[in-house]
Amino acid sequence: MSRVGVEALLTSGRTLKQGRTMELGKLGPEYLQEVGICEMDKVTMEALGLEEGDAVRVETIHGSVIVKSKIDRRAEPGVVFIPCGPYANAVTGPDTEGTGMPGFKSVSAQLFAAKGENVLDVEALLKQMTEEE
Amino acid sequence: MTEDSIMKEHIVCPFCGCLCDDIMVGVEDNKITENKNGCTISQARFLNHYDDRLEMNASLKELVKKAAEIIVKSKRLLVYGLSSTENDAHREAYKIAEEVGGVVDNTSSVCHGPTILGRQESGEPVASLAETRHRADLIIYWGSNPQFAHPRHMSRYTRADGMYIKDGKKDRKIWVVDIRKTISAGVADKFVKINPGSDLEVISALRAIARGKVLDVDEVGGLSIEEMTELVETMKNAKYGVLFFGLGLTQSKGRHRNIDAAIRLIQDLNHFTKWGMMPMRGHYNVAGANKTSTWQTGYPYAVDYARGYPRYQPGEYTAVDMLVRGEADAFLNIAADPAAHFPKDAVKHLAKIPVINIDPKRNMTSLLAKVNIQTAIAGIECDGAATRMDGLPLYLKKVVDPPDGILPDRDVLRMIYDEVRRLKK
Repeated sequence: MSRVGVEALLTSGRTLKQGRTMELGKLGPEYLQEVGICEMDKVTMEALGLEEGDAVRVETIHGSVIVKSKIDRRAEPGVVFIPCGPYANAVTGPDTEGTGMPGFKSVSAQLFAAKGENVLDVEALLKQMTEEE
Repeated sequence: MTEDSIMKEHIVCPFCGCLCDDIMVGVEDNKITENKNGCTISQARFLNHYDDRLEMNASLKELVKKAAEIIVKSKRLLVYGLSSTENDAHREAYKIAEEVGGVVDNTSSVCHGPTILGRQESGEPVASLAETRHRADLIIYWGSNPQFAHPRHMSRYTRADGMYIKDGKKDRKIWVVDIRKTISAGVADKFVKINPGSDLEVISALRAIARGKVLDVDEVGGLSIEEMTELVETMKNAKYGVLFFGLGLTQSKGRHRNIDAAIRLIQDLNHFTKWGMMPMRGHYNVAGANKTSTWQTGYPYAVDYARGYPRYQPGEYTAVDMLVRGEADAFLNIAADPAAHFPKDAVKHLAKIPVINIDPKRNMTSLLAKVNIQTAIAGIECDGAATRMDGLPLYLKKVVDPPDGILPDRDVLRMIYDEVRRLKK
């Protein structure tokens, strides 16, 4: 696995496809395809040596997760986006600062190319999240 | 449409906080065949309502008994969810929490909870969606991407023609303030890009400029003073402005302080002209969950009944905190999916305790649950009431029958409550 990474702020939120596929089935392949992705600008993608659809490892202080890369043509370097859902939460911190609200937005992250690695399905991801020490 | 099909009109869509009430649904042999007017998410919700339903591994009676046993055995029950079900179900959930001295929280603790905290500090300068459509000539979406999360918000309220705004596309300006150029920013009249986590600074600077203060800096949060002065002048000169804000404001650095500052900015602008603001509520009845919780417990979310009377403390009785601390020893989940939407550390604890999951469909939480009970989808398979993002209550209609033997959330919760009372005797 490549250890040359790109630093970025990771943010999350809703997408239309995430909303639509959620209604089709949250354990289904369509949902996985729409939430197990990381949207980034073209420059970041090139710096990582990735083609759209290649796997990328997103690491934060809270954990790491492998998702598929996706180009966002409106995006600029420095901010990457994972749709809200289990993949974003695998690398989100639990501290609510006394408000009840965890820090879902703007988590410092490092991105690494992970060509050839598999994106876990929702069930396997849940198993990994709940079983790891 | 065939001769046997009928078209049901004025159906309310139970997906997002817009609660669009102009949906037309085609029904044939108790099956939904068509959804007119609905967005792509609404289409998926209505047309696929029978698919991917939650599996039950025993009879309803047995599962209710098992659920009641878990609840009675628990020392610190956490009741959570409620935002995707109707008001009557909420009442039954509060009764269960009160009966066993548990905690009851709704999903607003991870969406607009900070909005409520900000309002408790500074007030609620609310507008209505109808007023927005008819009067507003300047709209700001701050940290919100309506084209994705509320797909018809723009076309029904902020780009639509109104009584005084004759041409919604020409007579009204829409700005989007965000840290990245979203799809909504692409269709807005102006995109204001700010640095991540700088919302509080930017709002505070806008307030200072609105009050005529001179700032001794060149830029704040990525915006030059000249740019901000221009924004403030336009905001002051609007006839009627509305600020819609999303989780970009409530979930980022500053959380409720961002909302507090935004409310005060709106109050400042009301010295010059008319402004209102409104949270872009996500789940269709999360606004209702805050209301019913306040009616019944006195507080909008994060309510603890351990002492026999309700106490309120976000940060302590909120679901994520209760789970991360390892405090909850049983979890009653109603119409939500915490396993998919809570941070990893909270999900880890969820996997260690007995979970009772009440939902129409399979979800990630159903994989962890000890008891899964399938229920009817409110607004499609049973009726109920829900509250729109501007506080307007709307009646949800039953369009088709639920699958055989499947009851609404309120009935299942009432059965659990009755069983809990019986076991406690």
